[in-house]
Amino acid sequence: MLETPPAYAQTAFTNGYEFTQGTGYALPEYPFVAPPELNSKQIKRHPIVIVGGGITGLSLACALARYGVEAVLLDEDNTVGVKGASSRGICYTQKSLEVFHRLGIYERIAAKGVQWSVGRTFAGADEVYSFDLRQQSNFNLSTQPPFINIQQFYIEGYLVERIYELGHVDLRWKSRVTAFTQNADVATLTVETPAGSYQIEADHVIDASGSHTPFHDWVGATMQNKRGDDRWCIADVRFSKHPPVERHTWIEAPFNENRAVWQHLMADDVWRIDYQMAPNADPDAVSREDVVRERLQRQFGKDVEVEIVWVGPYAYRSRCLDKLRVGRVFFMGDTAKIVSPFGARGGNTGVADADNLAWKLAAVLRGRASATLLESYNAERLEAAQQNVQVTNRTARFLRPADGMERCFRTAAIGLARQYPFARSLVNTGRMAVANTYTRSSICENTGGQSVQNVAFRWADGSQGAVNDLLQWADGDLLVLVFGELPAAGLQRLRQLAGHAPVRSVQVLGPDDRAQAREHVRDINARGTGHLQGACHVFGHAWALVRPDGYLAATGEAVDGQLVAAVEKTLGLR
Amino acid sequence: MKTEVAIKTAPNFQDADAFYECLLDAHQGLSREQSELLNARLILILANQLGDTPLLQACIAAARQAEPA
Repeated sequence: MLETPPAYAQTAFTNGYEFTQGTGYALPEYPFVAPPELNSKQIKRHPIVIVGGGITGLSLACALARYGVEAVLLDEDNTVGVKGASSRGICYTQKSLEVFHRLGIYERIAAKGVQWSVGRTFAGADEVYSFDLRQQSNFNLSTQPPFINIQQFYIEGYLVERIYELGHVDLRWKSRVTAFTQNADVATLTVETPAGSYQIEADHVIDASGSHTPFHDWVGATMQNKRGDDRWCIADVRFSKHPPVERHTWIEAPFNENRAVWQHLMADDVWRIDYQMAPNADPDAVSREDVVRERLQRQFGKDVEVEIVWVGPYAYRSRCLDKLRVGRVFFMGDTAKIVSPFGARGGNTGVADADNLAWKLAAVLRGRASATLLESYNAERLEAAQQNVQVTNRTARFLRPADGMERCFRTAAIGLARQYPFARSLVNTGRMAVANTYTRSSICENTGGQSVQNVAFRWADGSQGAVNDLLQWADGDLLVLVFGELPAAGLQRLRQLAGHAPVRSVQVLGPDDRAQAREHVRDINARGTGHLQGACHVFGHAWALVRPDGYLAATGEAVDGQLVAAVEKTLGLR
Repeated sequence: MKTEVAIKTAPNFQDADAFYECLLDAHQGLSREQSELLNARLILILANQLGDTPLLQACIAAARQAEPA
């Protein structure tokens, strides 16, 4: 990956983020290799074809590669990011970082990106409220930090390199899908390349091609849309003077005509300053370099030297499909839903979509689960999509209230928030993305559905491990964590279960418990004991059934028929 | 959203007249805009006293239904 972006003036296709000013970024380019189908009269059938090499499609491809599952990925471009345009996403959640850790690219992201956990919200000159995510229990158990900010294309680039390293997935660049049909037997895609067109067949097609996907029309997908008149303009800049390494948001910024401003950091010492514009603002005018510089000066003072890396005005909308699976096609990332950028719920949920489907596809293709398991992708990720759309729409309504009573209530809330803590909870500058809980999944018991943080523990030999190491060891099988000492009958049942089902079990011991199972770890880490148990939401003698995506399928007390039933349910067998 | 919670419709005021007077007095000398803002602040403060989501939804629904024809 290139470290210093040289001049790059070419403007090109964007996803609502228009590149208009700045030195831009240089992006890596990948070679087009003519696929064997071009020289063959025979149509080849592939178990999995992924369309789109953005953060979502590449995360899926990388996860499949790690399970050793073959797939083809088609991308219409030959690079990551959007050519000539900046990074789009910049903010990656703990859950995404945990996924990237499993995929083997976390260390690179941590080295390149910037960690942050403190957010502050201002109204005028007053700080209305602040938070430190490190102090919150839903973030402080993991070995990954609450957030890392980094330009999206870096992550995409790391994923590409990791996929080349792992093999199994055929990355086909400059391959645009121009037609699609499906029936009960097969899906057929027509692919256009610089060397000609060809057709391929697929059992499963994953559409991760972004908001302008043609697949919605091809399969007749239905959806809910919402469009507002809120306008924003991003300036990605380098400064001579550094702001604090925190997320700052203004609801009414005096230096932006009392409209909202976001200030966020990312890699390469670049800061993203996002300005809310008047609803009728002319995108060309607000993104002119002299106008942008003047705006930056109003915020940071005349003495601050600013290098403009990238400027882009944008408008947002929200969209949510009614179903994330139509026949053989699965929708994920921006093809499943589109949200406003507040709270980092776009890219992060795309990564979660990918992580959710990857283990299910792998389990089904490797004959370890029923094909009905794939249906649970729709139930789980549609619930997440709907929730993320709702949460971001609420933020959007707070940031751009309708004239009249909506604005009156916002003024009231901001005024009260200066004085009373209760009103700060009404001030909504974005609710940061979380690992969505699944409450209506067909494969989770009602004790499951939550994400388990990547907690550190001690291996039997005293060295440090973490939940992701156990998931890696389980290699796509379900993981049973059994806490505390076990009766002999329980041990016997665990052995039987592992003998006939794709399940691996590990005994998790307290500091003084006696080890009984060959595979055991101690629930101790540098910061205390019982963190793994806490992350699994169980107490005392208990078991937790953990899925390959780090989600709890179920928990229980005694190792009995309930555990066996939960395993069957999680594999789509009942 | 479903609102199946029963709200109090029988008198619950310790002193209804005193409350009403106090409310009107608070608006004295305010412009229409200032009054609207006061009402909005008051609603938010009162809502936080209740806190319970279904109860708040039932109150909002009741207020909306009580609109005169």
